[in-house]
Amino acid sequence: MVFNSLEFLAFIVVFFLLYFNLKGRFRLWLCLIASYFFYGMWDWRFLGLIAVSTVIDYQLGLKLENENNDVKRKNYLIISMMMNLGFLAVFKYFNFFADSFAVMVEGLGMVPSWNTLKIILPVGISFYTFQSMSYSIDVYKRAIPVERDFIKFATFIAFFPQLVAGPIVRASEFLPQFDREIKWNWDRFISGTGQILWGFFKKVAVADSLSLVVDNAFFDPMVHSSMQLAIGVIFYYFQIYCDFSGYSDIAIGLARIMGYDFPDNFRTPYFSKDFSEFWTRWHITLSSWLRDYLYISLGGNRGGGFGSVFFILVFMAIPIALTRSWIIIGACAALIIGTWLYMKQGDKNRKTAYNYMNLMNTMLLGGLWHGASWVFVFWGFLHGGYLVVQRLIGPYFGAFMRFLRIPKFGQAGINIAIVYFFTCLAWVFFRAPDFTIAMEVINGIASFENFNWANVTNKFGIASGFMLIGMLLFVEITDLKVNYAGLLQRSPAFRVVSFATILWIIAFFGTFGANAFIYFQF
Amino acid sequence: MKHIFWIIGLIALFFIGDRVGGYVLEQIVLKSKFRYSRLYKGEAKADILLVGNSRGLSFYQPYMEEMTGKSTFNVSYSAMPMTLAEVFVNDYFDKYGKPEQMLIDVTICDRDNPQLIAGFNAYSAFSPRVDSIVTATEKTVGYGGKFSHLFRYNGEIFQRSVFYLNKLDNNWLLDREIAQRLKDDLINVDTPSVKLVPRMVESLQRTVQYAESQGVDVKLVVSPYYKPFAEKLTNLDAMIAQVEKATNKKVYDYSRSMERSDDFGDYQHINIKGSRTYISLMQKDGIIPDKNQKIGYSD
Repeated sequence: MVFNSLEFLAFIVVFFLLYFNLKGRFRLWLCLIASYFFYGMWDWRFLGLIAVSTVIDYQLGLKLENENNDVKRKNYLIISMMMNLGFLAVFKYFNFFADSFAVMVEGLGMVPSWNTLKIILPVGISFYTFQSMSYSIDVYKRAIPVERDFIKFATFIAFFPQLVAGPIVRASEFLPQFDREIKWNWDRFISGTGQILWGFFKKVAVADSLSLVVDNAFFDPMVHSSMQLAIGVIFYYFQIYCDFSGYSDIAIGLARIMGYDFPDNFRTPYFSKDFSEFWTRWHITLSSWLRDYLYISLGGNRGGGFGSVFFILVFMAIPIALTRSWIIIGACAALIIGTWLYMKQGDKNRKTAYNYMNLMNTMLLGGLWHGASWVFVFWGFLHGGYLVVQRLIGPYFGAFMRFLRIPKFGQAGINIAIVYFFTCLAWVFFRAPDFTIAMEVINGIASFENFNWANVTNKFGIASGFMLIGMLLFVEITDLKVNYAGLLQRSPAFRVVSFATILWIIAFFGTFGANAFIYFQF
Repeated sequence: MKHIFWIIGLIALFFIGDRVGGYVLEQIVLKSKFRYSRLYKGEAKADILLVGNSRGLSFYQPYMEEMTGKSTFNVSYSAMPMTLAEVFVNDYFDKYGKPEQMLIDVTICDRDNPQLIAGFNAYSAFSPRVDSIVTATEKTVGYGGKFSHLFRYNGEIFQRSVFYLNKLDNNWLLDREIAQRLKDDLINVDTPSVKLVPRMVESLQRTVQYAESQGVDVKLVVSPYYKPFAEKLTNLDAMIAQVEKATNKKVYDYSRSMERSDDFGDYQHINIKGSRTYISLMQKDGIIPDKNQKIGYSD
């Protein structure tokens, strides 16, 4: 059951009717039952998985709270991590690692004798396991109190608006909100409905319309002109942004009507002036999760240790084992020797080197979080590389632009264009099913063969795609000055006209057919 | 209470705007020179009716009319399924009577295409047949178009009708040569095949029978493929035999008839330059008439 379906419309109407007519624990029970029903509509077999994860993390949370022995507490945390990561390893990554291992074994002249299991990926598993893990870690650190009410905890894990594709909400942000007294509130209804409609505009009108052009470009890049492929890549940036942020908007809007406040997940990421800023604007709840629970745990910008080196060596060893390419072996060896010599020159250098390793590890694991495929890991590698290169040459580039006396707005424009270009390059690998297709797309664009409008097919889809991107940018840019959310509350006329306009645009431009959201696969 | 007012106002404004907008868009579609608009506003009377998918656009109208001296009307559209073409052929016969000849590229039977059929909802106001096939194929789209009139015009077909608002669409064919990298990559293309959809073959059979019962000279053809590509098509002969058996008519096979790569836009489509060669070939074989020659009913 996806948000953009008639089934969901029926579900949410019935849910709200019951929700605002129940009180206290009945309402909490309703949220839990509705969440399990919502999740069960995808595949009821995975309800057991989420239930087991919830029960174990709940019990371990209580033990972590009550136990004072540090060793035992650490063991409880390890059990929680192993269970959550174990579920991910089995259900999301087993086939991927088994296939990769088979390729390595075959490369050594042996024939692997097992068959890969047919495992179906439970929708949203990466989201709720990360949510659950953050709870265990925070309770272990005594950063938050344990939740003793099982129904509240189970609802926090399975809460249907954000269950399958985020935003990833921390226990510290969400659990205290269950204690609020919630009543029907028109202000919340208005702002929530506004955000839901805007989310539907992004998903149904923009993302799904752009997907027709993007899917075409990535299906068989060899048959398309250079310009067609370039447009496909540009559109993919906006498609994935609108698809994912559209889901987040709908989730945040639904929660707001229900009386809960979720954190923002996107803030106009295409205006980022550097790659660090990009990650404070894109999938904010995941990047902050990775920062707090991975990057800082590895040492962050203060240094590093075994973990920093271990992960980087593992990520280097895998492409070497898979490809046995002397170029990759040479590049990795040069990098290791170069880093080692650099680190030997003093504490400052060692700290810098660890910082770069931590950045790269975080992005590589972030890439792997997205999907069980090497193209996602490579996407993470590119973003890790961007962050490192930015730190290495960014200050010099800024000084160079100042030397050329480029005005500030010009510098900002150049930086935005550079970030946009390299982010698009990384998206090619994210979107392509494999490296062959990704390289065909990149080579096709770089060939500049038939780089003209005459050789573009589906011109109408492309024209309406640009029109929709224009509408999106217009609203998001003007919103920085106008604050439409405030205007919705103050002016009923603006509310009626803007809601009707969004509905007309959705009716006229929307792509219907309950297309799933891209991030469901993660 | 004040909140009920704005909700009622929103619903009223949505429907008023939707109906007004829908009416304006309907007028735009009707005013267009796009072939289906011309079909429904009575400007499509022709001697030869041309039917196909994107490969049917190889019956390039300006050259066809220049070389045969006959007027033509082409209902072909990229990836069009035969069931939809059948609707347009039937509507054509109802509105204009029978043409002298009907030329069909039988590769139109290679696919169903619910998405394209749904796109033709923009013409459902003009044809009960279009309305029926859209609703039967995609219920949500059919009923959605009745709920919201703006929704009817949501799609590529409406956009094309806007594009052809003030210009004819009869020169719609690739105007480029096949790219070198595409030619080079042919070696990597897995064995392609043309698979016929039984429902489409039945639709072709019905269309042929109906046209012939009206006294129309129907010719079935397979338009040219880029020759090295056509030679990789393993089941082309079997596909032709299947159509011949179903329709009890000869299929004229031009799939491997053109050698020069500069006659093609890609593997499956000839370009404008190639269309002249193709039309000459058909003329030479007596499929279509020479200038001023009367079309006879023969097989």
